[in-house]
Amino acid sequence: MIKRIFWTITATAAVGVVGFGVYAYKPAMDPVAAQDRPAFGPEVVEQGRILAAAGYCSECHTTADGAPYAGNYAMETGFGTIYASNLTPAMDTGIGAYSVEAFRRAMKEGVDIDGRHLFPAFPYDHFAKMSDEDVDAIYAYIMTEVVPVEQETRENELPFPLNQRFLQAGWKLLFVDFDEYAFDDTQSEDWNRGAYLAEGVAHCGACHTPRNPVGAEIASDQYGGAQIDGWTAPALTADNASAVPWSTADFKSYLTDGVSTYHGISAGPMGPVVHAGIRELPDEDINALSVYLGERTGGNEDDPATSTAIVSTLERGRPDPQYRRDAGERLYATACASCHYNTAQIEAGRPDLGINSATNLDTPENLIHVILDGVSGPEGIEGVVMPGFRDALSTTEITAIAAYLRDARAGQPAWPDLSETVSRMAESAAHAE
Amino acid sequence: MINFEINGKAVSIDAEPDTPLLWAIRDEVGLTGTKFGCGIGMCGACTVHVGGRATRSCITPISAVEGTSVTTIEGLAVEDNHPVQEAWRNLRVPQCGYCQSGQIMQAAALLEDIPAPTDDDIDAVMTGNLCRCMTYPRIREAVRQAATAMTEGGRNNG
Amino acid sequence: MANLLSRLRDSNAAQSENNTAGSDLSRRGFLVAATAAGAAFGFPLAGYAAMDPAAADGVPVSPTGETFEPSMWYWIDSDGIVNVNIIRAEMGQHVGTAIARILADELEVAWENVRITHVDTAEKWGTMVTGGSWSIWQSWPVYRKAGAAGRTALIEAAAEMWGVDPSTCQARNGTVTDGTNEVTYAALVAEGLQRSFTEDELNALPLKPHEELRLVGKDVTALDIDTKTNGQAIYGLDASVDGMVYAVPMIPPTRLGSSVISVDDSSAQDVKGYLQTLTLNDPSGTVPGWVVVLGDSLMAAKRASERVVVEWQAGENAGVNEDDINARSRELIADDSYGSILPADNTDTSAAFSDAADVFEAEYTTQTVLHFQLEPANATVFQNEDGIWEIHTGNQWQSLILPTLSAALEAPADQIVMRTYMLGGGFGRRLNGDYAIPAALASKALGGKPVKLMFMREDDAKFDSPRSPSVQQLRMAFDGENAVTGMDHNAAAGWPTQVMVPSFMPKGVNDEPYDPFAIDGADHWYNVGAHRVRAISNDLANATFRPGWLRSVGPGWTNFAVESFMDEAAHKVGMDPLDFRLGQLTATGMNAGSAPNAVGGASRQANVLQRVADMANYGRTDLPADTAIGIATTFGQSRSMPTWVGGAVQLHVNRDTGYIDVQKMWLSFDCGTVVDPDGALAQCQGAALWGLSMALYEGTRFEDGNVVDRNLGTYTPLRMIDTPEMEIEFVESTEVPVGLGEPGTTVIAPAIANAIYNAVGSRIRSLPITPDDVLASLAQ
Ligand code: FES
Ligand code: FES
Repeated sequence: MIKRIFWTITATAAVGVVGFGVYAYKPAMDPVAAQDRPAFGPEVVEQGRILAAAGYCSECHTTADGAPYAGNYAMETGFGTIYASNLTPAMDTGIGAYSVEAFRRAMKEGVDIDGRHLFPAFPYDHFAKMSDEDVDAIYAYIMTEVVPVEQETRENELPFPLNQRFLQAGWKLLFVDFDEYAFDDTQSEDWNRGAYLAEGVAHCGACHTPRNPVGAEIASDQYGGAQIDGWTAPALTADNASAVPWSTADFKSYLTDGVSTYHGISAGPMGPVVHAGIRELPDEDINALSVYLGERTGGNEDDPATSTAIVSTLERGRPDPQYRRDAGERLYATACASCHYNTAQIEAGRPDLGINSATNLDTPENLIHVILDGVSGPEGIEGVVMPGFRDALSTTEITAIAAYLRDARAGQPAWPDLSETVSRMAESAAHAE
Repeated sequence: MINFEINGKAVSIDAEPDTPLLWAIRDEVGLTGTKFGCGIGMCGACTVHVGGRATRSCITPISAVEGTSVTTIEGLAVEDNHPVQEAWRNLRVPQCGYCQSGQIMQAAALLEDIPAPTDDDIDAVMTGNLCRCMTYPRIREAVRQAATAMTEGGRNNG
Repeated sequence: MANLLSRLRDSNAAQSENNTAGSDLSRRGFLVAATAAGAAFGFPLAGYAAMDPAAADGVPVSPTGETFEPSMWYWIDSDGIVNVNIIRAEMGQHVGTAIARILADELEVAWENVRITHVDTAEKWGTMVTGGSWSIWQSWPVYRKAGAAGRTALIEAAAEMWGVDPSTCQARNGTVTDGTNEVTYAALVAEGLQRSFTEDELNALPLKPHEELRLVGKDVTALDIDTKTNGQAIYGLDASVDGMVYAVPMIPPTRLGSSVISVDDSSAQDVKGYLQTLTLNDPSGTVPGWVVVLGDSLMAAKRASERVVVEWQAGENAGVNEDDINARSRELIADDSYGSILPADNTDTSAAFSDAADVFEAEYTTQTVLHFQLEPANATVFQNEDGIWEIHTGNQWQSLILPTLSAALEAPADQIVMRTYMLGGGFGRRLNGDYAIPAALASKALGGKPVKLMFMREDDAKFDSPRSPSVQQLRMAFDGENAVTGMDHNAAAGWPTQVMVPSFMPKGVNDEPYDPFAIDGADHWYNVGAHRVRAISNDLANATFRPGWLRSVGPGWTNFAVESFMDEAAHKVGMDPLDFRLGQLTATGMNAGSAPNAVGGASRQANVLQRVADMANYGRTDLPADTAIGIATTFGQSRSMPTWVGGAVQLHVNRDTGYIDVQKMWLSFDCGTVVDPDGALAQCQGAALWGLSMALYEGTRFEDGNVVDRNLGTYTPLRMIDTPEMEIEFVESTEVPVGLGEPGTTVIAPAIANAIYNAVGSRIRSLPITPDDVLASLAQ
């Protein structure tokens, strides 16, 4: 679930410039009646559906048991709870009264029909990169296909003055570049298409780019990797920790099937990104994204199967009769190896944990999450499940397995505070889906 | 309601989402070939296939298998004649038999991924399945025999 | 000499079999008569309480047309189908196949026509117990005579029909012929058959000579294999009764003496499917202080039990640790007034030791071991429409638990019947049927409603009757020529038989009772001059937990001591351990052996030892550094039915890590006639690997009154990757068949300890042997 919360609100304190009030003021826009909306061709609606998926709109605008897009999805922040708004075309409580222009302004400027500034939990800073045509397609889709549901959006639970929306304007002023995506002539067509999608509708940076203390993405460290909901969104740059660099082909299979043979599967917050999102894009678009991301991470296109990293991880994974000497190794051999063991080559369905992202990252959370709660059918490789050991193994045992993988299999320096992290995560309830 | 397929048939289970798949299979669906040994994913007696991959059902909540396709020992082969089952019978592998559903399901999955396993491969994959009767020497032999049968069968089929 | 089996028999007047070839078949006579087709199995009031392991639904075969039931052990129907009744539990030994083949061979029927039925617990079946590796040994004479009776009756009926002399006829493959005429058993049965034999006639029946046995000793299809490869075999865990509710126990802090102070289930109330929590009231005293949580599904009961808060008054041994138990063993050993002295030619060793030129002594210990049978304990209990209590479970000793069930249910024995399911492992755990008691009490509290009570694995471990920890002190006296003149063996441990069936304990020469299952093996067949074996019951162990019979029972640990000690003693006097042993296996005095079970005595043990030494090429000098072979020899379960075993293990010791790489194990068995060669091999493979598991990988400790290791996270039995190559042979023999389920277990641990010594000079005297033990020993 993508629910990264931006600490934007604190920015308000920093903004006290003269004329700010003028800048912050946005007029209300006129409502339109349902029958006055323009008619949309089916291709536009379909394009909108795909883009809405690729922007994961419904992920944040739908509660677990609620109607699609009806809002009230709760995003916890350190200061309080923000509730996602009702995006259905309901006239009173949804966005039914939005004109196409009002919708564009909301998407690209972060201002609602009444002129109120939206909290940047809504990633308008990325949607600003989108073309009007694409934004309009999403409008077409919502107005045509989404079932209107009258449901009041709950009041955010934020203390004063953080609940003062106009103060968001200062944050925008400081951190948001409202320009549409600009074509880079030095790059290929595919690369540019990929960049447009990644920086715009797919808003990859929202999770993968680190943020400054007031919650804005640090442009100079784009895709540098960041924390989200207790998971690590790995760097999508040359700093990516994977033992085997990500190639275009790896991104392609990851974004299509939720699995990259040499890196891992799309679990946690990344699960729906692939399975309910990116996958909906046409093949050429996924290709383009892969070209772009492949370039950013700098992976070469050689077949990694014969690389040193693979050969040596397979070697380290050989069954060792002395597996009992270390508790982690023993537990791994009995609880994990049946599925994770590989012989001459690595099977996509048998993630090799020596080179897996989860064991090579600087933080152990991703690995611990998966050990604790597994991977459900809709995540990762679709229809395939990894069980969870939350109720099965003790925190000591899980720590031992993680330490073994980190040390003996990934060959990386020990994670500091591993056992504390395992205990903390084991105590908190299973992550909400 | 959690919906998934079991041995090709659609089932809807009305149980708490954290109910282990094992108990849904045994007590709700009524297929008792899948066994309970440890409940912590360390013995393999409860091994079934989910999406074609060996999965320990005792620690898999039914919420995780929504929309997936599950196969149990009863559904491994229509006539109970999967090459692994045949090899198990030829070599009279089972003693008490209690672990063997899990062993067979694990071995069948092994041979899908690694059609010609070495002894190391068999050790690595099958060590997760405990057999308290210690039928290991025969399991090892039966996996080899099934592997041969399957690759030969494959060749015959062209 | 005490024979436990005869005591076992005497204890039950209905016992209808005998372990001794050539003696009476049955106290009640042996009826050979026609019976009408009908309920030939099962307890009539209890519906079907019998089981056919080959049938997908477990329901035994029904006869077609007329039946001929020459004895209660089988019937033949008008289709020529032979259904053999088996009173043994199937727990992996394919016992039905083995026993049915003994009968079918003598009866002369085709194997395809044979079915088996594991019977209910009606009184007529006599004592029902499956353990001690007794099944084949005990069944051999019974089923052979039963088969011969049927064959004789059928031949006589055919002869009469043709008006010829029966001696001109012979039977083969379900058909009688006199050379001219031919008639099938099926046809003869369809005609109706009436024939009875007196006991004398029975005893006079000719049995087939050994060389004409057609099924015994040959490979036949085991009847329980198919259903064990397709998920159809039905175990206790699979029992299902309409309307049943599920129960999980909440086990008190101590096995004995706990009581419930209060139960608060308020926070369990909102668990969906939670029904109620019962505090058990147990007139049989088996499960003091037990609470059982009920739900409409297993998970409902389990999740609710996690929320039920029980306050207990723990029993007085809530603080007992393994070290306390062992300290008590040493205290008892030190006081010569405790214990029972086992029979031997000369049990007075005082002179040998006071006159000794040299004395060697050593102490050996073994840790607590769990059964960890893969199917956790469970039982389903209800009162059926006829008022009969039905107990559906897997069990090895029905006759032992039925009286306890009767006490718990406060119902007469004939109102209780047990349906014995396939056992997901026995290994002695299910000899003690105590796990059926809480299920019965819960059902009783609900007015007979069906309750399926299941132990989660941790509960199963906590409620196990584990193999007791043991302490043994041995010493040997040598004269001036280094000849052995006397041996003392003091062994202290918890005693399962004392706790569960004290009446079955024979008396030692000092008139004190002893538990043979806690000392067998110490009374070895070596001629060591005076030989004093003192078996001591550890009262603290008995009061802390319920000691159990565990695969190979006493010999599993007594032989670790005896056979390690023999090696040590040999080195002490500068002899080769093989020669030293052979020099004492002289088969004289009591060790000469006797018919029918121990013909040849120690000479047969010497034979298997020599054979295994040859198989392993013991004494070879070309092994790599830190690699060596160790040997050991034992005699299986007891002196009364010795299975002679020789064992050798080759291993390498890693001096840096202490890791012991077991490279190969060799075993040679002399068990008399081998009835089921493949089954015998399977039993010996499994037994030897159990031996290895308990030697290196298995063991737990008591801490605060209970075992600390309760699941596979920390309890670590042998697995596939730990399984070494094995070579197993059986000595050709026509002697009485004796047991094979356990003997293979007993040689492995000492052979390993001896091999470690041979490899690196470290002597390890405690089980299990861990890498840390090896490192510590190397550091000395
Ligand atoms: S019961 Fe599932 S692994 Fe043991
Ligand atoms: S056959 Fe009994 S546990 Fe494997």
